[in-house]
Amino acid sequence: MSQTAAKNQIRQDNPALQMIGKTALYIVLIAVAAFTLVPFVWMVSSSLKLDREVFAYPMKWIPETFRWENYILIWQKVPMLTYFRNTAFIALVVTFLQTLTSSFAAYAFAKLNFRGRDVLFLAYIATIAVPWQAYMLPQFIMMRSMGLYDTLWAMVVLQAFSAFGVFLMRQFYQGVPTELCEAARIDGLSEYGIWGRIMLPLSKAAIATLVIFTFVGTWNDYMGPMIYLTRDFNKTIQVGLRRFIQENSSDYHLIMAASLVSLLPVSVVFLCLQKYFIEGIATSGLKG
Amino acid sequence: MTESVKKARRSMSRLERKNTLIAYSFLAPNFLGFAIFTLVPVVFSVFLSFVEWNGGPISNMKWVGLDNYASIFKIEKVIEKFSEGEFFYFFKRVDLGIALKNTMFYTLVTVPLTLICALALAIALNKAVKGAVAFRTIFFFPYVASMVAICVCWNFMLMKDGPINQLIQAIGIPFNKSWTADSTMAMWAIILVSVWRNMGYYMVIYLAALQGVPRELYEAATVDGAGKWQQFVNITVPQLQPTTFFASIMMIISCFKIFDVVAIMTEGGPGRSTKMLVYYIYDVAFMQNKYGMASAISMVLLAIVLIITIIQFRSEKKFAND
Amino acid sequence: MKKMLTLVLALMLALTVVGACAEGKQVLTVVTWDATTTPYLIAQEAAFEAKYPDVDLQYIDVASQDYAIKVGTMLSGGDASDVVMIKEARDIINWQAAGYAAPMNDFIAKDAYDVSGFVGTEVNYAVDGVQYALPFRSDFWVLFYNKDLFDAAGVAYPTNDMTWDQYAELAKQMTSDGVYGTHYHTWLSAVANWAVCDGVNTLADREYSDLAYFYNLYQGLEDAGACMAFNELKASGLHYSAAFANGNVAMMPMGYWYVSTLIGYINDGTCNFNWGITAVPHADGVAAGSSFGNLTGAMINEKSENKDLAWQYVAWLCGEEGAAATASTGARPAWVSENVAGEMASVAGFPSDEASKAALIPSYVGMEWPVVDKLSEIQTIVNEEHSLIMTREIDVDEGIEEMNERVAELFE
Repeated sequence: MSQTAAKNQIRQDNPALQMIGKTALYIVLIAVAAFTLVPFVWMVSSSLKLDREVFAYPMKWIPETFRWENYILIWQKVPMLTYFRNTAFIALVVTFLQTLTSSFAAYAFAKLNFRGRDVLFLAYIATIAVPWQAYMLPQFIMMRSMGLYDTLWAMVVLQAFSAFGVFLMRQFYQGVPTELCEAARIDGLSEYGIWGRIMLPLSKAAIATLVIFTFVGTWNDYMGPMIYLTRDFNKTIQVGLRRFIQENSSDYHLIMAASLVSLLPVSVVFLCLQKYFIEGIATSGLKG
Repeated sequence: MTESVKKARRSMSRLERKNTLIAYSFLAPNFLGFAIFTLVPVVFSVFLSFVEWNGGPISNMKWVGLDNYASIFKIEKVIEKFSEGEFFYFFKRVDLGIALKNTMFYTLVTVPLTLICALALAIALNKAVKGAVAFRTIFFFPYVASMVAICVCWNFMLMKDGPINQLIQAIGIPFNKSWTADSTMAMWAIILVSVWRNMGYYMVIYLAALQGVPRELYEAATVDGAGKWQQFVNITVPQLQPTTFFASIMMIISCFKIFDVVAIMTEGGPGRSTKMLVYYIYDVAFMQNKYGMASAISMVLLAIVLIITIIQFRSEKKFAND
Repeated sequence: MKKMLTLVLALMLALTVVGACAEGKQVLTVVTWDATTTPYLIAQEAAFEAKYPDVDLQYIDVASQDYAIKVGTMLSGGDASDVVMIKEARDIINWQAAGYAAPMNDFIAKDAYDVSGFVGTEVNYAVDGVQYALPFRSDFWVLFYNKDLFDAAGVAYPTNDMTWDQYAELAKQMTSDGVYGTHYHTWLSAVANWAVCDGVNTLADREYSDLAYFYNLYQGLEDAGACMAFNELKASGLHYSAAFANGNVAMMPMGYWYVSTLIGYINDGTCNFNWGITAVPHADGVAAGSSFGNLTGAMINEKSENKDLAWQYVAWLCGEEGAAATASTGARPAWVSENVAGEMASVAGFPSDEASKAALIPSYVGMEWPVVDKLSEIQTIVNEEHSLIMTREIDVDEGIEEMNERVAELFE
C-alpha cells in the first residue's frame, strides 16, 4: 500500500475531517438551492399582487396585501380546467408512446448489428439539429392535409416519435454489458425476450429519466400547440397562459399564479419518479 | 471451395438477414412515426433552401440554386471588403456572421459550464445526503417552470438595482446597469438563465447514469487505496462516458438552437448583440416571409452541428474500442 | 393511468361532437386576436348578428403577440376561414404577395361601395391599384395626461397646440419626488416616430437624420429623471397601460386605443383619477394636431368558400354601421363621419372637456410604417439601432448613421 493510500485511509477515518467535508457540502448545496429558488420566491410574491404592483420599483418581496383571489381568478378568466385536461392528455399519451417506441428502437441501435445502423442513427441526430422553425411550414401543410390540424392528435404524433428519446435510451443501453445479452442468447432467449426481461428491468433509471423529460417537455411546449391548436377547447396550458398577455394590457400577476399552478403536476411526476435515482443496479460479476 | 464453407457462408448471410429483420422490427414503430412526421419535412426543408418561397401555394416556389446561400453570406460584399483588407467584415456586419459568432460564443461558454455544474450536483446528491430528495427536486424546478414566467422574472432580477446587481456590488464589482441593456452583459444574462435552467436537467441525466456504475468498482478501488479524486478520474468519468457523449451533443444542439430565452428576454438586442441563429431564422421566415432563405440558414446550422456530432461520434467509438 | 386516459379520451370525444353541432345558420369565420376581451370585437359581433340574424359570426382567436406567425402558417396550409384581420402593415404585404388575399375591386364596383369615408387611408391596403383589404380601425397617437397630478402641482394642463420643446419643459416641471413628468413606452413609435408627422418624412425613406431631434429630446428627459429609464422599462417589461394606471405619470404619448383600456380600468376600479387627452406636441413649422397612426383592417381569404358573405361582413365592418359599433367602445374607426365623431365623444367615461374632444380630430395623420418593399427588413434594422441608441450603447448620431448605412445596403 502506497503512502497516499495510507493518507487517504487516515482522511476517511478521521471523523473531524469528515464533519468539515460534510458541512462544506451542505453549505454549497444550500447556496445553490437558494440561487435556484430566488426567482420562484419572486414568482410567488408577484402572483399575490396586483398587476401594477408586480413591476413597482423598488421591488417588494412581500406584497402589501395578499391577493389570494388571483388563484381563483385564473380559473374564472380563462378555461384553465380545459387547458389542463388537454395538456394532461397530450403529455400522458406522448410519454407512453415515446417511452415504449424509443426503448424498443434504442435496443436495436445499441445491441444489434445491422446494415445502415450508423447512418440511420446519424439521421436521427441530424433531425434534432434542424430547428423546427425551418421545417415547420412543410410539416404543417402535410399535417393539415392529413386532417390533423387543430386536433390534440397532431401534438401526439409530432412529439411521440422524437429522436431525442431514441438517443437517450441508446446511450443508456450501451452502458449495459454486452456479455449479459450474449449469455441470455446462449440461454435461448429471443431478442424480444432480452429486451423485455433484461434491458427494461435494468434501465429503470433511464426510463424514469425519459418519462420525466418527455412529460415536462410536452407539458411546457409552447410553439407546437400555438401553431397546431386553434379552437379554445383544444388549447394547452402554455398557450392558455399567453391569454393573460394581450395587445393592450398584460396580467403578469395572473401569469405567475397560473405558471405556479401548472408547475404542480410536473413536480409530482418528478417526485414520484426520482426514487429510481437512489438505488444503483447491482451488476456484480458481469464485467470482465 | 468446399461445400461446407459455402454452406457456412450461406447460413451466415441468412443469419445476418434474420438479424437485420429483427433489428428492423425493433426500429419500425418509432421509425415510421419519426420518418413521416419529422424526417420527411426535414428533407423537404433541405430542398427549400434552394428555392424562393413566400409561403403561398407550392406553385409559388421558384428554383434559385445557391442564391439563398449567396445572399445570407453576402458573398460578394464580403469578398469585396476582404480584398480591401477588412477581413472580419462577415462577423462584424453581416447578420449571419453576427448570429454565428454570438451563437458559438454562447454555446462554448454554456455547454461546459452547465455540464460541470450538473455533474457536480449529481455526484453530491448521489451520496446518502440528508434531504437529497428535496435538493434533487429543487434543482430540477427551473426546468419545469414555464418559460415566459421565468424570463420575465430573470429580467427583473437582473435590473439596474435588482438583487443580482446588489449582490455583485456587495462583493466589490462596480456594475450598475441592467444586464439586458448592456451589449456585453446581455449575452451573459442569457448564459446565466440557460445554466440555471438546464443544470438540473443534466443533473438528472447524470444521476440516472451514476446508477449504472457498479458499486464494486469503487469498493475495489478503496481496497486498493485510491483516493476520492483518483476514483472520480479513473472510475466515474470513464463510466459516464456514453452519458457525457449524449449530454454534450444534446446540449450543443440545444445551445445552437436557443430561441425562447432570446425572444423573451432580449429580442436579440441591444442592437444585434444577442441575435442568435434561430432568432434570425425566425425573423427571416415569419416576419419577412422568406422561407427559402430561412431554410438556407438552417442548413448552415445543421452542417455545423453534424460536423461536431461526427467528430464526437468517432471519438466515442475510438473510446469504446480502447 | 389507464382509467384516466379513457376518461380523458371520452371527454374529448364528447366535446368534439358538441362542437360540431350546426345550428342551421350560415357560419362566417373571422381570424382575429384577443377576441374574448377586446370591447370593439364584442360590440361588432353583436351589431352584425343583430342586423344579419341568419349569420353566425365566429371569431378564431389567436394570441396577439404571435399573430403573424400563426396566421401566416394557417393560411399557408390552406386555411379556409372567411375573413382575416390585418394587424400590422407587413401582414398585408406578406399575405398579399403569397396570394392569400382576395382582390376586392369587383365587390367594390358591384356594390358601388363608397370608400370616401376612409379619407384616403385605404390606399395602404392596395397594391398596383387592386384593393386587398379595407381598414376598420385607424389609430393615431394622442397625449394622455393625469389631471389630478397637474391640479395637485398647480400647473396648467397641456394644450392641443404645444411644441415638443414646450412639452419637454412641462414634463420637467411636473417631475417631482415619486412623480414622472412623462412616460415613453419602449417602442420606436413612442420615441422617434414623430418625425413622420410632417407629411414629408417616412420611416422607409432611407434617411433617418430627422429622428435625431426626438432621440436627443428623449435623452434630455431621461437624464433629467422626467421619465422612467428605458433600460429599466425594457428589463422589467412594464406595460405602458400599468405605468400610466399607477397614477404617478403626468403625461404619456400613446395610441388612441388606450382610451378604451383606460376607461375599462376606471370602471373596474383598477385606477381612480381624472384624465384627459390632447393632440401630441408638434415640431416647429409643423401644424398643430399632426400625428401618425396605423391601421387595422380586414381581408377576404382567397380560400374562403363564401366570399360573398365575407364581403358582406367586411363592407359592413369597415363602413358607417360597423364604424358606429367600433366607436361605441371608445376605439377609433377608420371610417370618418360626423356621426362617428359624435359617437366617439359620447362614450361613457370619455373626458368631458372641450380640449379632449377637439383632440379627436387630428389635422394630419402620417403612417407609422408605410407599405413598401422590404418593409420587414427595414423594421428589423431600425429597431435594432433604436435599441442601441436607447440603451446608450452608441450615441444618437452613430445610431442614425448605422440606420442609413444598413438600410442603404438592403437596396444595393
